[in-house]
Amino acid sequence: MLSKLIGNNAIQLNVEAYNWEEAIYKAAKPLLESNKVTERYVEKVVQIAKETGPYIVIAKHIALPHAPSEYGALESSLSITVLNQSVEFGNQANDPVKYLFFLSATDSTSHLSALANLVELMEDETFLSLLDTSNNSSEILDYIKNMETN
Amino acid sequence: MFKALIACRAGVGSSLMLKIKAEQVIKEENFPIEVEHASLDAVSGFTGDLLITLTDVKDELESIGINKPIIGIASITNKEEIKTKLSSFIEAHSK
Repeated sequence: MLSKLIGNNAIQLNVEAYNWEEAIYKAAKPLLESNKVTERYVEKVVQIAKETGPYIVIAKHIALPHAPSEYGALESSLSITVLNQSVEFGNQANDPVKYLFFLSATDSTSHLSALANLVELMEDETFLSLLDTSNNSSEILDYIKNMETN
Repeated sequence: MFKALIACRAGVGSSLMLKIKAEQVIKEENFPIEVEHASLDAVSGFTGDLLITLTDVKDELESIGINKPIIGIASITNKEEIKTKLSSFIEAHSK
């Protein structure tokens, strides 16, 4: 279940970031603070993005920062971060990025159904516009929980 | 039946989501393609017919000389893109 992957304070709305790197660090913060990932994991995410281009931008306006498990994914987890101003990641097809789904996964199977839910949300215009307008993270979580039960 | 490998760098995030979307499209369109997924490490040992990945990973794989058809998807949530690219692969490789 996707909602179970989202920890306390892991939905961040109206976040300010001046560039993609800052956006990634801010998106990582809730997972770092709740010990779901190590600092090395976050560094690795940034390093991969630097070395290999903006591969983490996977859909229009959406980035999925993540790294291989062995770099310090302690628990499978997800944060949702909405920027108040979009930033460029250097991905021609999908820039600029407004929504970041920062992911840690300890293996490649146990979070599969959660990822299926996440893909569904990424295509859901109602969900994305809720992210744009909402000031209330529990409203977002309720929407996700509701989607899961349908 | 074609065998496809869906790969991303980590093997735990985007490749899985791409696999979910690709499987939806394959099922809806009844395409003769079987998919598995892995990290990029598995690419060199892959013996199937087709690699499916994100656009920028495709560029990298081509630059290291992977000698297989590679489909690069720009947006995971764009089913139309996945459908068009898979169907032109099938057309080009069916006898």
